[in-house]
Amino acid sequence: MSAWLVLGVLAAGGAAAVVRFLVSRALPVGPGRLPFGVLIVNVAGSLIGGVVLGLAERAAVSDDVRLILLTGVCGGLTTFSTWSVETVELALTGRWRAGILNLTATLFLGFLVCGAGYVLSR
Amino acid sequence: MRLALPVFLGGLVGTGLRLGIDQALPHTDTAFPVSTLIANTLGALALGWLVAGLWTRPGLPAWVKAALGTGLLGSFTTYSAVMVSLVALVAAGASALGWVYLAATLLLGFGAAALGLRLGALLRHRTLADIPDAGSTL
Repeated sequence: MSAWLVLGVLAAGGAAAVVRFLVSRALPVGPGRLPFGVLIVNVAGSLIGGVVLGLAERAAVSDDVRLILLTGVCGGLTTFSTWSVETVELALTGRWRAGILNLTATLFLGFLVCGAGYVLSR
Repeated sequence: MRLALPVFLGGLVGTGLRLGIDQALPHTDTAFPVSTLIANTLGALALGWLVAGLWTRPGLPAWVKAALGTGLLGSFTTYSAVMVSLVALVAAGASALGWVYLAATLLLGFGAAALGLRLGALLRHRTLADIPDAGSTL
């Protein structure tokens, strides 16, 4: 793997993290409420990921571009740590309904758009 | 907006660490993604500990949260890769492996987040009820 490719993946990951930060900032979470910002970036990243997976399968994007888009852009845009910690926090502080909704909505929507993106682009 | 720089730099490092684990433990689209599972579990544990521990210290500069939480751990862990691997496994006819992977991710990841929160609170001699709702500051 060339140094330029590594640099491209890292820069894409950093830039995508800034987008995630700005989306979370634009949609502040009230105490005990659903963290919509994280939900939106995780679902959006899953959609892009599915599309890239489909495009790569019919060689419409190169391995290098696939790596930059999947590991850099989608990996930086989406997050597992914030999603899991915020969901567990909701549950541990007695806000079970919001916690379960955050868990199931992210899973359902993420899988749905990722699968749809893949099927439509391959 | 001045927090965008620490988020960017943290995101750069977090993405680099995840790329490193991916390279150390490579997997094809139709194999069990051990590297993502490791990154997500470690990242959830670390963020839980930070949220219940370091984050509760009075006077902590906002750029520390931005760099370590949103940037570093946010980018080290990934949700899209979990969905992409699940879709790839299902499409390749390895649905059972895909659902086992999702179950392992949820069990280990959410377990690690809960453990991290408990550890962080314990080390700060607090209960979880005392933790301010982190919300969008994560």
